[in-house]
Amino acid sequence: MKRTSIATKIILLSCGIALLLMVMGCFLIAQYQVKLLSHVAESQIDVKENRFMSRFYTEKEEMRDQLDKLINHVSKLMNSVDVIYEQTFQFQVQNLLMHPMIIAVEFCDKDGRPFISSWKSKGEIKIGAQTPDEINLSQFPFIKKHTNIPAIEIIQVFYTTKPLEEKLFFLKNVEIVDIRQTQISIYSKLRNLFLTQSLGSCLIVFLLGLSLILSLRRTVLNPIQELMIISRQLKDQDLSVDIRSKSYSHELELLVEALAQLLDGFRQIIADVKENAYLLSNSADSITDIAEELTTHSEEAESKSNNVAEASVQISANIHSIANSVEQISDNIETVSSTSDYLFNNINSVANSIEELSSSLTHVGERAQNGTKIAEQAVLLAQKAGKTVNSLRHAADEIGGVSEFIQRIAHKTNILSLNATIEAASAGSAGRGFSVVAAAIQEFAEQSSRAAKDITDRIVGVQKGTSEIEAAFNDVSTIIRQMNESSESISFAVIEQTKAVQEIANNALEADERARNINISIDELSRTANDAADNTAQVALGANDVSTRIQGVSESISFNRQISHQINETAIVLNHLSGNLKFMIDPFKVKPSTNITENKSTSEEKQI
Amino acid sequence: MKSIVSEKKKLPETKRQFCSFQLADHSFGVDILDVKEIIDEVTLTKIHHAPPEMLGFVNIRGHVHLVLDLRLLLNFPSKPIDESSRVLLFHPNVGESFGVMVDQIGHMIEVEDSMIEYRIADENVSGIAREFRKTELEKGVCKLTNKLLIILDATKFLSAVELKR
Repeated sequence: MKRTSIATKIILLSCGIALLLMVMGCFLIAQYQVKLLSHVAESQIDVKENRFMSRFYTEKEEMRDQLDKLINHVSKLMNSVDVIYEQTFQFQVQNLLMHPMIIAVEFCDKDGRPFISSWKSKGEIKIGAQTPDEINLSQFPFIKKHTNIPAIEIIQVFYTTKPLEEKLFFLKNVEIVDIRQTQISIYSKLRNLFLTQSLGSCLIVFLLGLSLILSLRRTVLNPIQELMIISRQLKDQDLSVDIRSKSYSHELELLVEALAQLLDGFRQIIADVKENAYLLSNSADSITDIAEELTTHSEEAESKSNNVAEASVQISANIHSIANSVEQISDNIETVSSTSDYLFNNINSVANSIEELSSSLTHVGERAQNGTKIAEQAVLLAQKAGKTVNSLRHAADEIGGVSEFIQRIAHKTNILSLNATIEAASAGSAGRGFSVVAAAIQEFAEQSSRAAKDITDRIVGVQKGTSEIEAAFNDVSTIIRQMNESSESISFAVIEQTKAVQEIANNALEADERARNINISIDELSRTANDAADNTAQVALGANDVSTRIQGVSESISFNRQISHQINETAIVLNHLSGNLKFMIDPFKVKPSTNITENKSTSEEKQI
Repeated sequence: MKSIVSEKKKLPETKRQFCSFQLADHSFGVDILDVKEIIDEVTLTKIHHAPPEMLGFVNIRGHVHLVLDLRLLLNFPSKPIDESSRVLLFHPNVGESFGVMVDQIGHMIEVEDSMIEYRIADENVSGIAREFRKTELEKGVCKLTNKLLIILDATKFLSAVELKR
């Protein structure tokens, strides 16, 4: 089983690595702890040594001080005694040597030579002149003291520090042994710890492997197994598998999605191919049918071409009849030649009449120019008349001014007469005659005023008339101007026409000549028609040739028929091939074809 | 009134003469003996602060005359001076030298005295009524063949101006 082997490989590898790492970690930690422990022990021992050394030194100093005091005490005691006896001396020495540390005492003279010494030897105090050499005093420390005692210049005390040192060393050793023992006990405890740690890590690794196996089986192996099943189905060319519906983890879901899309695409392609194969087989069938039909058609064509050959023979006969009609045409052309003679005569008469037209047109042109001159004169006259009318209006205006003046005079006269009447009235009866005169004057004034008003009215009428006349003259002059323009344009047109007529005349002459040429060429035509008749006979020969060619065509059509037979055979082969293709594609199981068509229709609808 | 009385004495004949004129299409007349002159071309010098009835002064041959607007005195609307406007100057015995502006001058009319109907001054009227009478400018009505001519009293024109104020 490959899949399990993969899983076990993964699990075993990961578990082994984890175990190795953990054991290594434990070992390193233990090593580190051991090192730490030994280091701590060493440092403890160092501390003990140092303490021992310092203590030894201080004890030594203390002892020295003690000895010093003792010697001082002895010297003082000896100094206080007037005479030194041997007993006292011995007593003092004994006293000194009572001290356990002192080994020997020497009393020296001025030169430093000892004259009396005492020493310890096997627990007894001995006195002599000099210490024996067997007791090597030089290896011991000593205290040298100068005294005031007569005869004894220097007291030398030798002492030993050995017991003290031994005592301290013993103490130190005891402590070190204690440390060593604790170290060893810690070592044993550490070993136990290491053992338990390794056991625990093994347990953890075991649990981890178990959980890994479980989770892998659940999350990876099951989907993979399903995928395997699907792939086996695909291997069996069954494309109708649906793998979308299940839910996996994200990556697998993506994978499955992609696979599903691929499968969909593949499914569609296969469906298309299937359909196309079906179509192809159908069309191959139809091609065979068509080829068969083609064969029958070509047979028909062959028979028809035979018919055509017969018809061509008929055609050659017809061409002979055409040759006859061509001869008739040459006769007709001769009659045409006579008609063209008649045409030539007619064209001659046309040219003559056109020349007449040209001369009459020149006459018209002269008249038109005359008309222009007359119109110009009329314009001048009209302008003159307009000026006259203008002066008439000025005169009327002046008359109007005069009549106004007259009216004013009449008013004045009226007032004068009124004043005269007033004066006459105030004159009373004497002015009576005058008042009559005044009344007459008043009447006269009124009359003159009325006449002036009348004149003014008339003059206004005259003014209106003159203005109307002026307008009429303006109209007249404009009309005359227009006439002038039109007559000028007429004369221009006449000139143009004259030119055109001249050209026509020229053309008519040319036409005359051409007609003559036509006559000649028609003669030539009749000759060529005769030639044509000869040629048609040749054409008849050619028609015979055509009929032979058509027979060749019918042969080639029979060749065609053979080719169509071949086509039929190849179509049959194609049909076989399409059947094979269909057979090859059929094993691909696609969802029921109705489903596919439905899908297609829905997609088409969406597109619409 | 004095003058009229004197005129009556002067003219024992029954004929009387009036100077007729037009004012707003109405015919009026004044006694010809009160009229001194008719002037056609007038150049008025306006008097400021004067009542609107006083049109201004006019200089005629070196003499200055006051010109009144008869239209306003007769309660017609005022009208600007035009070509047919004339000034009637009165005799000094009518009042201090003055004249009136009329729209158009008419003929001198001579009529029988019997054709005139004078307004009879009621002597019994007193007080305010009498004062009111003073302002009455018309003296009477002259019956002509086709119309009536209202005859005005020229002597009351000046006092009418004063009373109007």
